[in-house]
Amino acid sequence: MSDKPENEDLRIGVFVCHCGLNIAGVVNVKEVTEYAKTLPNVVFAIDNRYTCSDPGQEEIRKAIKEHRLNRVVVAACSPRMHEPTFRRCVAEAGLNPYLFEMANIREHCSWCHPSTPKEATEKAKEIVKMAIAKVRLLRPLEPIEVPVSPTALVVGGGVAGINAALELAEMGFKVYLLEKNESIGGHMAQLDKTFPTLDCSICILGPKMVDAARHPNIEIISFADLLSVEGYIGNFKVRIRKNPRYVLEEKCTGCGECLPACPIEYPNDWDMNLGVRKAISVPFPQAVPLVYRINRDYCIECYKCIDACGPRQAINFDQKPEEIELKVGAIIVATGYDIYLPEEGNLYGYGKYSNVITSLEFERLILAAGPTGGHVVRASDGKMPKVVVFIQCVGSRDVNKYPYCSNFCCMYTLKHTIQLKEHYGNDVEAYVFYMDMRSNFKGYEEFYYRAREMGVNFIRGRVSKVIEDPETKNLIIHAEDTLLSEPIELEAEMVVLATAAIPSKGIEEIARILNVTRGTDGFFMESHPKLKPLDTPVDGIFLAGACQGPKDIPYSVAQGCGAAARAATVLSKPSVKIEPIISVVDPEKCRNTKVKCGICATKCPYGAIKAEPGMPAQIISAMCHGCGTCVAECPADAITQMHFTDAQIFAQIEAALESNPEDKILGFCCNWCAYAGADLAGTSRFEYPPNIRIVKTMCSGRIDRDFVLEAFRRGAGMVLIGACHLPYDCHYIDGNWKMKARMEALSKALEKMGLTPDRFRIEYISAAEGSKFAQVVREMAEKLRDMGRERIIAENEKLRPYLERMLGRKR
Amino acid sequence: MPVKILKIEDGSAFILERIMYTKRYTLSLDRNKCVGCDLCVVACPKEAIKIVNPSDLADIENQPKKITVKVLDDKCNFCGICSEICIFGAFKQSVNDEEYIPVLKSESFPRLIHDVEVDESRCPIGCKVCEEACPLSLIKVKWNGESGGKVKVEINRDHCPVCRICEVKCPYNAIHTRKMISGLIRVNIDLCPEGCRACVDACPIPNVLSISNDGKVNVNDSFCVYCGACKNACPVEGAIDLRRVSVHHTPVKSGAWNKALERLTSTENMAKELRSKSIFKTYESVKKLHMRSRVSK
Repeated sequence: MSDKPENEDLRIGVFVCHCGLNIAGVVNVKEVTEYAKTLPNVVFAIDNRYTCSDPGQEEIRKAIKEHRLNRVVVAACSPRMHEPTFRRCVAEAGLNPYLFEMANIREHCSWCHPSTPKEATEKAKEIVKMAIAKVRLLRPLEPIEVPVSPTALVVGGGVAGINAALELAEMGFKVYLLEKNESIGGHMAQLDKTFPTLDCSICILGPKMVDAARHPNIEIISFADLLSVEGYIGNFKVRIRKNPRYVLEEKCTGCGECLPACPIEYPNDWDMNLGVRKAISVPFPQAVPLVYRINRDYCIECYKCIDACGPRQAINFDQKPEEIELKVGAIIVATGYDIYLPEEGNLYGYGKYSNVITSLEFERLILAAGPTGGHVVRASDGKMPKVVVFIQCVGSRDVNKYPYCSNFCCMYTLKHTIQLKEHYGNDVEAYVFYMDMRSNFKGYEEFYYRAREMGVNFIRGRVSKVIEDPETKNLIIHAEDTLLSEPIELEAEMVVLATAAIPSKGIEEIARILNVTRGTDGFFMESHPKLKPLDTPVDGIFLAGACQGPKDIPYSVAQGCGAAARAATVLSKPSVKIEPIISVVDPEKCRNTKVKCGICATKCPYGAIKAEPGMPAQIISAMCHGCGTCVAECPADAITQMHFTDAQIFAQIEAALESNPEDKILGFCCNWCAYAGADLAGTSRFEYPPNIRIVKTMCSGRIDRDFVLEAFRRGAGMVLIGACHLPYDCHYIDGNWKMKARMEALSKALEKMGLTPDRFRIEYISAAEGSKFAQVVREMAEKLRDMGRERIIAENEKLRPYLERMLGRKR
Repeated sequence: MPVKILKIEDGSAFILERIMYTKRYTLSLDRNKCVGCDLCVVACPKEAIKIVNPSDLADIENQPKKITVKVLDDKCNFCGICSEICIFGAFKQSVNDEEYIPVLKSESFPRLIHDVEVDESRCPIGCKVCEEACPLSLIKVKWNGESGGKVKVEINRDHCPVCRICEVKCPYNAIHTRKMISGLIRVNIDLCPEGCRACVDACPIPNVLSISNDGKVNVNDSFCVYCGACKNACPVEGAIDLRRVSVHHTPVKSGAWNKALERLTSTENMAKELRSKSIFKTYESVKKLHMRSRVSK
């Protein structure tokens, strides 16, 4: 095969990490190190307790100098964790950072095979061997430098987004604050008081909202939708659709003269549909921007508002949606959460019994400016309830609904009980049915204590059912006090449900547009739960606030400020380096000079390839995202993806299948989903059989037919392709679809040749599906065992002539 | 909280309620009063009212016998226009049980003028011609004592479509009426199917439509209220030509009214009204200017 480095004296150094006992507790690290020493071109191998630590890195730098190493392999954790660290480390020692490779023997080995240390050690050796096979063929690459546009987009104008925007604006960057609703403010603007200080929510948020609106560096784009995001760190191209308000933003003064003129009222969803608003109105008086909106769903077009508006002429019924395009260097996602409304199934009678409400509805009731003027009254008769029961964890901490804890419900329920007691004293009795009271931040425990002192009754136990008395509309609560182990029956006049905080509506759409992964809970997933809590796997896109998981106000504010700091690290530099893992065309091999080909140009998801008739195809490197789909599609093998060349991947396949190939499953996993899913399987300590070997590509679109053929030619027991979920999860728009088309055809062809269909599997595994990854491997390993070595060897022998013919042009 | 929409429907009533925490909007239709015309259907700005045939309502209790209407709960926004336009008073709109039509308060819709006035001083004691003539039994004639007292004619104006029968029948010329809609109605008898009397049965006013001896439909234009019930019942497209020319109303400036008027009458008639309005406006402003110049002199 071509692509061998020319006469280069290869000197490889291997560093095997113990990671304390994380690796060494299962894998015999010494044995792996000794094994590495026996491999060709390895001139130095050593084990360290913590390779990523300062002394560990120093050892690498020292070894590079002393042993004149020109390739480095670190066998440790996932490259998704520490690859940048070690690249920096080898660069400091004067080595090109792309002459470094990582062998993932923690997430993919020690953590998921704790009960089979011997096999795990063998697997670790082979993983190291694969890395060494690849590192031999690596070429030095220079990162591509691109200019950064010093502007930021903040998606979501809740308290996290507002703070992120304000911080960035104060640092001197231009910020676009995008909000889908009419006003910024988010959920915090709906609240009455905040815990544990009981200060008025809108009184502390309102000034911030106004600050954001008046800041010269902030442009609020409200009542608008995010349509698409293209590009990469430093250079995102964002398309936004501004929805028509039928009131001109620049002319509306917010005077509100149109309000009394309008005859039509409709339920105000900002008020949780407890109150009404006019067909021309703002959702709440403190709205920012204070621009009225006509809801054409309800408007009868009497044009009375036009008369009322008079010379201001702010109303325009002909307004059309407007699309705008922005160029930004960094994006902060702060899309927040939604409140679960248990309408379906009428959980605890919600939606069926009029006196069962959610906490957010209670919030609107007790708010002085709310639809009832701050009076907590019952919907059925408008009277003040004497006994109010609060039920905690409705939907949350429920394996059938939302298994996670919604974080702030305990505290806001405490606040509600204290507010009730403050408003009505001993006229009202408050009961809280809880699973556990969680009050674990500054001042929170004291707040809990205060509620108990005020005479709120706390009962530990889950409510089994709520029944309405049809006469009085009172509610009979059936529960069990789990501390006393006795059943309880209680008559309440109002029931307040602390329902789960759930991913906001439209989060799927945002995830698809931004290519940001979501966890199993549906919230956005951060790059690393501990060390990169604000980063996403996409460079230049950061997370803040409850879109990553339910958070209270101080936590959201802190995250907003933190995300601003993260974004500023990008925006403050004139340029940013992007990975040079782009594709290049060999003009000699390209068929487009002779015949009308251009397949690469049609398959490139970014339109980065130009194939003019008679000319070799050309790749515009600034537009190439490095997925490698064109490489796999090219019928003449004329395209190469840097750092993921055919030769490098073939070398990995060869190394993986050198011994006992028929016992092995060879996995090709895309970096963003399936590989990350395998990492999560390790992090979550899901155990699965150790006979899988994983080759990483950036995108499943890169996985060439030849890789699969080569794997079977070398006798692989099974081949797995792991990709992002269809239809939209692919991080390169649609590489997974191209892989699917390619591999389904190949699968049929292989089947025709006599391959047992089970031996070739395509799976869509997201970064959040560690358990699915483990399950798939378990199933495949079981089938492998069922088939038996002999059958596989026999089948492979039968296949070999076909495969060799198909791979003929490769050698 | 989900917005609760309550729908109660049977053969004699259709009630739509939007129940919210602090407010309850109710729109009720009395199907006994509804004649199955299309005034509300045409006037509704949200196209929320649909004509329904009795066969469409087979699943409801005591199925209605004639054409009626229903309100689509996902489109109705409780503006109350239907309740103003219905000359038979079949619709009632209320908020928290109090009758309330928001569009009238804001003058987004005019008050529609239709009235019956009785000069009771002309009525002799003992005459009950109008009471007997009223096809909808909305008139009660009363007087105190057998002789000498004053006559009182009570008319239930809420439900009176002003057909003028009482006015014509009154022998003492005591009744004066104003119809809400003026227009014309013709039946193209060539298109009438053999033996069909659907329009005659649908018409709420007796003798407006009748079957003559030769089996063809006869029209008596003077009592017609131009509601369109006959047109809805007619099985043949184009057999009944109903044209509304104008609708009497209090002056308003409202886009919603212009659109309703256009749909009720025609684009030309709507334009005519707009023109006369603008002429009136010009006249008013010229008058004002004139007055001012005279004062300054």
